[in-house]
Amino acid sequence: MIKSLRDFITGSHAATGRRDFITMNTIRIRKGYRLNIAGAPSEELKALEPPATLAALPERVPFVKPKLSVAEGDSVNVGSLLYVDKRNPDLKFCSPAGGVVKDIQYGPRRVIEQIVIERDEVEVFETFPSVDQDALSHIDRAELVALLQDGGLWPLIRELPVRDIAGPDREPPAVIVSLDRQEPFHPSARVYLEGRLDLLRYGLAVMHRLAGEAPVIVGAYPQTADRFSGFVTHRVAGAYPADDPGSLLYRIKTSPAQNNAWFVSGQDLLLIAHLLGTGTYPTERTVVVAGSAAQDRRHFRTRLGAPLAHLAGGDWTGGSPRFIVGGVFTGYSGSPGSHLGLYETSVTVVPKGEASEFLSLFRPGWAKPTYSRLFLSRFNPGPLVHDCNRRGGRRACIACMHCADVCPVDILPQMTYKAILAEEVEEALGHGLLDCVECGLCSYVCPAKIELTEALRHAKAAYAREKGA
Amino acid sequence: MKKTIQRFFEALRPRFEKGGRFQRWYAFYESIETIFFAPGVPTTTTPHVRDSLDVKRYMASVVVVLLPLLVFGIYNTGYQSQLAAGKTPDLLLSFWIGFAAVIPLVIVSYLFGFGWEIVFARIRGHEISEGVFVTAMLFPLTLPPTTPLWQAAMGISFGVVIGKEIFGGTGRNFLNPALTGRAFLYFAYPVQMSGNAVWTVLSGARETAVDAFSAATPLVVAFEARTAGAVEEALAEAGFPLWKLFLGLYPDSIGASSTFLCLIGALVLMAIGVASYRIIFGDILGVVVTGYLLNLLASDASSAYMTMNPFYHLLIGGTAFGIAFMTTDPVSAPDLHPARWIYGFLIGALTVLIRVFNPAFPEGIMLAILFMNVFAPLLDHVVLKFRLRRRIANV
Repeated sequence: MIKSLRDFITGSHAATGRRDFITMNTIRIRKGYRLNIAGAPSEELKALEPPATLAALPERVPFVKPKLSVAEGDSVNVGSLLYVDKRNPDLKFCSPAGGVVKDIQYGPRRVIEQIVIERDEVEVFETFPSVDQDALSHIDRAELVALLQDGGLWPLIRELPVRDIAGPDREPPAVIVSLDRQEPFHPSARVYLEGRLDLLRYGLAVMHRLAGEAPVIVGAYPQTADRFSGFVTHRVAGAYPADDPGSLLYRIKTSPAQNNAWFVSGQDLLLIAHLLGTGTYPTERTVVVAGSAAQDRRHFRTRLGAPLAHLAGGDWTGGSPRFIVGGVFTGYSGSPGSHLGLYETSVTVVPKGEASEFLSLFRPGWAKPTYSRLFLSRFNPGPLVHDCNRRGGRRACIACMHCADVCPVDILPQMTYKAILAEEVEEALGHGLLDCVECGLCSYVCPAKIELTEALRHAKAAYAREKGA
Repeated sequence: MKKTIQRFFEALRPRFEKGGRFQRWYAFYESIETIFFAPGVPTTTTPHVRDSLDVKRYMASVVVVLLPLLVFGIYNTGYQSQLAAGKTPDLLLSFWIGFAAVIPLVIVSYLFGFGWEIVFARIRGHEISEGVFVTAMLFPLTLPPTTPLWQAAMGISFGVVIGKEIFGGTGRNFLNPALTGRAFLYFAYPVQMSGNAVWTVLSGARETAVDAFSAATPLVVAFEARTAGAVEEALAEAGFPLWKLFLGLYPDSIGASSTFLCLIGALVLMAIGVASYRIIFGDILGVVVTGYLLNLLASDASSAYMTMNPFYHLLIGGTAFGIAFMTTDPVSAPDLHPARWIYGFLIGALTVLIRVFNPAFPEGIMLAILFMNVFAPLLDHVVLKFRLRRRIANV
């Protein structure tokens, strides 16, 4: 049965075992929404000098309960152990810099926000065993897992549907690699893969080794897919979040057994390949700085865990904008002094939107972004400036159905939301709660400004914790 | 201008905020202020950016679409009044007589509707939901122009309080509040709400007027038609030719007579995505298919009404108004798209059945909509069952 499912997912040619040339299937996703947002980055890549401080952000790793292995004042090398997960001490997290642990910042309820490391001029790298291409094909799978765990990069591989770190003991039903992220704004695969196709190939081979018999699915939207056709198994056509691993899986899965597919982003795959290929902890990240309030909108090559001020520096005396780490739909807001986490590759700078607008109700809205048809901006092709204003008061649901019309995985968010409020867990699950990709579109389009995404995300996390306990 | 208004609100604000003298009426203050100034509240969670559409604009768009119907209703009220008085209607005088009859009803409707909304917003500690502005505009348009003001006040109060607020306010009601109020008046004060005399405001010399005025409404004419296959002619003879029915220049509820304006309203609402085209087309399909089935079933023994051209059902009475503005209320309609087709179709079908077979109720659309409002959750439930069956389980 598994074999036939696999054929269905990847196209029958996958079964031939030739991993580099898998037939392309085009997955067309009609729902979703393309945000017409101003501030797109250029594809020009600029390499930055390494910043003075780098950090690890345990708070931003989902579900992890960090147990520190270092204290303030300790010296660390690049790749030294910083903390482990209390749930599973084999899950290790390593230092992105060589230097001295300068500051460990705690947030509310003693959550560890940042472990800030002051970088030495000459950094020392920890050495890990390296595995070359030939060795990879006959290395023991458990050994490979251990290498990734010790190297601190296992957490880059995560598991659907709740997006916790993948459980290494079980072979997944599939591994989904997404090269791009359509969410505004993320690095383009065309930029970060430039000259790194060998690393990608090697990373994919590692995934195949981990996946065992299961397929490794590489999804990308048509522009990227055409460029890297040798690697891509699935062309994903459609608006955001069509190429999200969750919405791709939703379109191609055929049985409940496939719900626990693993996923990893293309850039993270390069890090894994670097670790195993060279035996040193990777430090390089391609990051996008964009958004209408950003001053230099482009791709940057910088360090893992770089501070935001280093990337999106500027003079903010005229009112500070909002710094969003990880995209306008799913990211979190950070201060210029905070750092990029393990997963984030994007800093979007947009106006805060704290001004109240005069006679907003009566304006035709030529430049007001909307999914609806109640503003003239429907006819405005140009990219529109979005700010962080909520744009309206909180109301009860009026059943406009915009949320259901954009949901990429056919959930009825407003009904699921009601089931969650009524604590009908079974009902919410039946509605497809776990298929939710947390894309944020339902909250975006809601005219009643109901925090649908937040409610669904919390319900998913609560369910995952309960199941794990 | 902007500065002056801003200063005005800034001066008032502290009195309505916590600790201020009028803090209990904050909801009222907030609803007025936000008409002028959209609040500068930023998002606190993902997604960071939000759609510019809010409920205020959503509801305001419906009110704007209703305005032409109000203006026409005012004109038509005065026009019919002068016809009944045996005069040649004068444009300005028509507007003036209609204005004097209709605007008080609209004002009472807004005063009481908005008043109840403020009271309940205060009790709940919520902001005022803008649905009431639509309800208070729809309600007077469904009334006969002769409705006493106190009855209008009773009707809108019943509609807003019993039809909506006791269930939790806009968004949590299962009945259309404007229609609930209208139905309340219909059953509580039948003398002022039905019959042939209530649809025309009498002006000028009363005696002559009453003599000159004896018109039955199109619904009654159609019901009482005796010749099978000639209902349309009967209507034309009674003074309701096709063009008149379409344009709406005949005595009827204030805003419901003009099929033409309702059609434009429906098209605009569909174009801006506020009204569900599924409901509207479902309604029309229901009316026409049922009307046509009755045509086929008609025999010599059955009433002539059954032989009426099904499209006439869309022209007479309040069908067009109900379809464009009442069935499309998203809150009291089902949520799911397929359920909305079924909902619309059944409303259309029931409207025709009530009209043709029930002598007690000349107009069927009001009862049909309220009836289907009650069944909307059931339709959703059934459609949802089928829909969820298609999902691949994920638990």
